[in-house]
Amino acid sequence: MRGSRKGLALFVLGLISLLIATACSSNNGGGSSTQSNAPVTKGGTYRSATSSFGFVGDFDPVGEYTAVGFSYYQMLLRTLLNYTGEAGAAGLVPHPDLATDLGTVSSDGLTYTYHLKDNIKFGPPINREITSSDIKYAFERIDSSSLVAQYAFYYDGVIQGMAQHSGPPRNISGIDTPDPKTIVFHLTTPTSDFPARLSLAATAPVPEEVAKCFTKPAGGYGNDIVSSGPYMIQGADQMDPSSCSTIKPMSGYDPTSHLILVRNPNWDQSTDNLRKAYVNGLNMSIDSNVDDIFNKISSGSLDGSFYEIPPPTVLQKYSTDASLKPYMHIDPQNTTYYLSMNLIVPPFDDIHVRKAVNWIIDKAGIQKAWGGPATGTIAGHIMPPSMAGLGTDYNPYGTPGNTGDLAKAEAEMKQSKYDPGHTGKCTDPVCNGVILLNRNEPPWTDAEAGVVAALAKIGINVKARELESGAAYQTIDTVKTGAQVGISMNPRWGADYGDPNTFAQPLFSSQALIPVGTSNYSMVGMTSAQAKKFGVTYPAGGVPSADSQINSCLPKTGQDRETCFQGFDKYLMEQVVPWVPMFWANQVTITSPTVTNFAFDQFTGFIALQNVAVSNNASP
Amino acid sequence: MWRYIVRRLVWVVFVLLFITLLTYVLFYVMPPTDPSILFAGKHPTPQVIAQVRKNLGLDRPFVVQYFLYLKHIVVGDQYGWPGLGFSFTTGKAVRSLIMEKLAVTFALSLGASIVWLLIGVPIGIISAIKPGSVYDRVGMGFALFFVSAPVFWVGLMFLWIFWSKLHIAAGTGYYPISQYGVFTWANHMIMPWVVLALVFAAFYARMVRGNLIETMSEDYIRTARAKGISERRVIVKHGLRAALTPVVTMFGIDFGLLFGGAIITETVFNLQGLGLLSVQSVNNGDLPVIVAITLVASFAVTFMNLVVDIVYAYLDPRVRYT
Repeated sequence: MRGSRKGLALFVLGLISLLIATACSSNNGGGSSTQSNAPVTKGGTYRSATSSFGFVGDFDPVGEYTAVGFSYYQMLLRTLLNYTGEAGAAGLVPHPDLATDLGTVSSDGLTYTYHLKDNIKFGPPINREITSSDIKYAFERIDSSSLVAQYAFYYDGVIQGMAQHSGPPRNISGIDTPDPKTIVFHLTTPTSDFPARLSLAATAPVPEEVAKCFTKPAGGYGNDIVSSGPYMIQGADQMDPSSCSTIKPMSGYDPTSHLILVRNPNWDQSTDNLRKAYVNGLNMSIDSNVDDIFNKISSGSLDGSFYEIPPPTVLQKYSTDASLKPYMHIDPQNTTYYLSMNLIVPPFDDIHVRKAVNWIIDKAGIQKAWGGPATGTIAGHIMPPSMAGLGTDYNPYGTPGNTGDLAKAEAEMKQSKYDPGHTGKCTDPVCNGVILLNRNEPPWTDAEAGVVAALAKIGINVKARELESGAAYQTIDTVKTGAQVGISMNPRWGADYGDPNTFAQPLFSSQALIPVGTSNYSMVGMTSAQAKKFGVTYPAGGVPSADSQINSCLPKTGQDRETCFQGFDKYLMEQVVPWVPMFWANQVTITSPTVTNFAFDQFTGFIALQNVAVSNNASP
Repeated sequence: MWRYIVRRLVWVVFVLLFITLLTYVLFYVMPPTDPSILFAGKHPTPQVIAQVRKNLGLDRPFVVQYFLYLKHIVVGDQYGWPGLGFSFTTGKAVRSLIMEKLAVTFALSLGASIVWLLIGVPIGIISAIKPGSVYDRVGMGFALFFVSAPVFWVGLMFLWIFWSKLHIAAGTGYYPISQYGVFTWANHMIMPWVVLALVFAAFYARMVRGNLIETMSEDYIRTARAKGISERRVIVKHGLRAALTPVVTMFGIDFGLLFGGAIITETVFNLQGLGLLSVQSVNNGDLPVIVAITLVASFAVTFMNLVVDIVYAYLDPRVRYT
């Protein structure tokens, strides 16, 4: 109708004028460029926001198995050993925290003894000295299956007497507490990375008088965590621990809205040389609109981001504007993003095909789709440089510009039984229609086209399937459904702590192959007996194993251990070829000029909240 | 009339029962993700998965779970009445979770609906009274624009123009009255209200205009004018009454539907309401929350339908219920 059109035109004209007027109004884009040469300031609050906490264990330290959870625990809890909260390999070395030193190990490697420092106390409302029994109680909670300790496997079967049982926490025969300041662990077998396992939050001391009230459902203690670190949950001092019925959730933690931490008055800085604790507290609120979070950082109402990867527009803005660059912090995590090939699914059961795939993938293109070099370094091998120390020099399938090399890929493919005609392309019927599994969200979806195109160049015509991340993982961590997927783009793997075995046993040992929940997505080391048990077809050519290589490295310590695992990485890349490593992820954290000290915790892979400093005067 | 209301309420209960059953069945037949594995963390061994399953109450047969769920709704559970269980994602009682989010969604829906009625209906009336005039053209231009513009775009544009550039609007987030007072709360709600209202206002403007023009061409209007009644009375007392009855019906349904959550508005303005919660809980396979939100949304729609039908009976004397 003519009337409406004219009206629409008038209206749109008015709107456009308004837009032009506002666009031309004076811009005050980011903060003024005060440089980060400002002195480190004590006090204030680190104000941040996240789209969701992402906890899987309700924030109860016994079971919370997420790096983001660990980051908060670095402010809240102390363990026998812990880390300095800095970037680089130094940030992965365990130091004494509640313990007086790195402990005494018996000559047979089966007994570990630690003494506790003086003047270490629980925060309000418990306020008493921490004893060895409180640490032992944490282990007892780990074994009570109803509390769902998600990484109990690090301790069950390792410490004598530790095994999952239903029923409330009970005594563990393999842990002795001869006096309130001494704790002794008796192991079943020498475990050279055992000290690192004592840095995980599930082993932090827990006051039984509070935790005993939370038995069902699991996770309840996450609302009433009693602090052993420099900070406590706001409202902890108001919690009434006199009986189970008087205990109410601390007001500072609401899983759908906020986590506010304030100083723990009982924390004695002279006992803690790992945590600077500059800020007076943390204010982490939930903001569902990720763009909004970064807008607030540039407008100054928030001090910095947490785990969210900045959207591409933000990355671009901060990378290209010289005045903003100091506020973009790029730190490598101990994480590899990779393509996992299933060694029992043709044509990936042929090592020549797997090598050809390593030659052809355009890693530079994938990195670009991901958001550019800020988001990660192109990976030439499996373990990130922060683990085991094989750097960027070793890149056995390196190609000019990392865009892939068709000639080399074809040369490798010609040796494969799936290319009988030696054409350089996968011509066997199994090469068509094999499934490529991916996540259904960016940036994975943006990188997919490049992978599909590269594989097609060597005759592998995949059918791409996109699933929500949890569903994708479930597909490949279940052996039977994983056997339908030839190659998968969704996985990434990050180390739990600084030992290189965290990138070996769970990923490549045949013991790690369980019917549901395996992390050995490539099925490395699967035997024909296992294949029969799982109900999958075993390839005629067999499946290479990495078991003896892993077992030869496990007893070693120190530099020998590192060298051994470096050799293991090379063995995998050259003799087994289960993956195409794509890149080693960086964590990109954006801060505002109010942050006067930025620190990255290599252990958690995120900002070291316990060591950050701000110049705002906000109270938590 | 009371018999009619009671009959309708009984029908509401049946509908809700059926919907909960359907939700449970869908969850088991086509789960988005198995929550037992999702909440088993990074290294889900069979033992951990079994423990998680037990913890979430998913180890019992489906029928048992469903009847337990119904029982808890009627008699309550350890968190109070009605017993809606605990959220798989956060361990929080679903009952308090839903109440909190409902308050936000309710505030958003109520405010937006008042705004859209205040904007849309007058525009529609003026356009109808003076068809073809400048007012009509601008009014319908406005309507066409906001019916077509996607809500997320309008929301982001408003944030950019009024908050980021002109600094006259408050930022995102929900500021509860109990903590921040009425003024701060309202200040942060104005933009979400307006953004959400604009789409509906546009639609209602067009509808009111169309209805009123049609009504004003009826014979009885001509009769009323012939009787010498002032034009104003003719429009308000005779024209509007007939023209607005369909609007009442639409309003009831639209308002009820908003309780499923205005997902896009809630996301853009960071209002932690039911819409956002529903998306998150589906992604996480959080069954108790999914069922609870479905219940709330269905109840809102069926209840509002009932309210609207009753109001209709008062507005239109020809409609009588037995």
